[in-house]
Amino acid sequence: MDIVTVHNLKKYFGRGENQVKALDGIDLNIEKGKFTAIIGASGSGKTTLLNMIGGLDVPDSGEVTVDGVNLSGLKEKELAVFRRSKVGFVYQNFNLISTLTVRENILFPLNLAGSTPDPVFFREITELLRLSDRMDAYPGQLSGGGQQRAAIARALMVKPAIILADEPTGNLDTKSGQDVLGLLRMSVETYHQTLVMITHNLEIAQMADRVVRMEDGRICG
Amino acid sequence: MRAKGTKLAGVVLALLSVLLCLVFLWLLWTYVPRASVRWGLLAVGAGICCAAGLWIWYQRRQVTVFADDLCTTLDALMSGRQPEGYRPYEDSLTARVQGKLMQYYDIMNEGKVQSQRDKETIQGLVSDISHQVKTPIANMKLYTGILQNPLITEEKQAAFLKTMEEQVNKLDFLMQSLIKMSWLETGTFTLHVEEARLSDTIARAMNGVWAKAEEKGIQLTADCDSGITVKHDPRWTAEALGNILDNGVKYTPPGGRVSVSVQPWQFYTRIDISDTGIGIPENHYHDVFQRFYREEAAAAQEGVGLGLYLANGIVTRQKGYISVKSRVGEGTTFSVYLLS
Repeated sequence: MDIVTVHNLKKYFGRGENQVKALDGIDLNIEKGKFTAIIGASGSGKTTLLNMIGGLDVPDSGEVTVDGVNLSGLKEKELAVFRRSKVGFVYQNFNLISTLTVRENILFPLNLAGSTPDPVFFREITELLRLSDRMDAYPGQLSGGGQQRAAIARALMVKPAIILADEPTGNLDTKSGQDVLGLLRMSVETYHQTLVMITHNLEIAQMADRVVRMEDGRICG
Repeated sequence: MRAKGTKLAGVVLALLSVLLCLVFLWLLWTYVPRASVRWGLLAVGAGICCAAGLWIWYQRRQVTVFADDLCTTLDALMSGRQPEGYRPYEDSLTARVQGKLMQYYDIMNEGKVQSQRDKETIQGLVSDISHQVKTPIANMKLYTGILQNPLITEEKQAAFLKTMEEQVNKLDFLMQSLIKMSWLETGTFTLHVEEARLSDTIARAMNGVWAKAEEKGIQLTADCDSGITVKHDPRWTAEALGNILDNGVKYTPPGGRVSVSVQPWQFYTRIDISDTGIGIPENHYHDVFQRFYREEAAAAQEGVGLGLYLANGIVTRQKGYISVKSRVGEGTTFSVYLLS
């Protein structure tokens, strides 16, 4: 079963001679519960595609359907609800809030949505990601790997159907990158979530169930 | 009991409101001398009561609409269709609860999908097994037919018996692998994960391939600090590592090298098993872990294509993972990551 279907997606930036075709007619199906890696050179449109799937950007033409709902039919407010209930984002530079503790950071999306956290689930996730003893630390007091684990916990906390990760190991050394990635993969498998990850590390890409290669805004193989 | 209580509360409330109205009227007529002010105040009081009544009616209606929406959603889910007018991302209470319900339904449905998938796996397994068993059995039938011929020379008899023995061995090996695989596939075997010394497990795995490596003149080395302990099932992990080692020895030409090294990381312990063998092309990294997959270049070697599949299954069961890095013609490194 496909959780994401992308049909003939196009996004151009600029006009005339300076026009850049970030996405040039993308067709893609992502199977539910699988780990898909997107690889490609920088500027090949990977991030633009990921942003479209996550409802962060609007395409010029084409359709994105996530879990049976066509994103182009949603209003701005509905898109916000979609993002905070269906999708978990993990970024290269973690994007943690430095003035909040790890615990507050992880619970932040739930506070935004106005829902009460499930304490059992919270404990489970923080234990799985080996964060239990760093709950009251500030992000700055954690190593890069630790910060990324906190960011992953934050993404998982709302029980999203899809995790979208943009170069999650880009700012980490190989060792802690592999470490964090193993944990990310394990948690995604534990909760039957779908993981879509951008990477240009081939060693990481081969951990995926499927590898999608992008080149100049198109998918090749 | 509960209904009785509610009724009683209703009666008490009604009596109380009648009483309050009477007190209000009495106060008006006793303390307000001017008739116009009196009637004015009465009108304001009545207005407030009406507004309160309307407000209560509106709230009740909201609750009813909310309950109706939920019932519609549940009805739709019970009959297995998408609820009508489903706006999952509307910023309303109904949409929020509806969203949660759908999520719950999905999770519950997961079991059904899983058992369907299991059924397909078993079907695939049966067809794979019958395919694998067919050839050796056909061969054996053929040889028995030949051996039954009384005119056959003793020399030839011995030769055919030898080939038959090979076929029996192949079947035996296949059966053993299949039994292990069925344990893995049906989840009937339990892993006894314990904090144990990794060097012991590696030694155990290497025991199985020493003879073969010696015979081929392959140098077999291991570098593991005896102090390193990892939470794992020693017996099954040794089996997994043994399969990878066996693979390395099998596909490394005589005079080559197979080495094991261990690096403890923060959360995972990484075990590298490197060989100087034929290598795996990048586009087949994934395939080598599929059951019954045989690399074209490996067709000359004996084997059924279950070793790495089993190894991967055993490691993933322990929440670890395996990765491959290889250069064709130079060698392959399998990295096994075990959760420390």
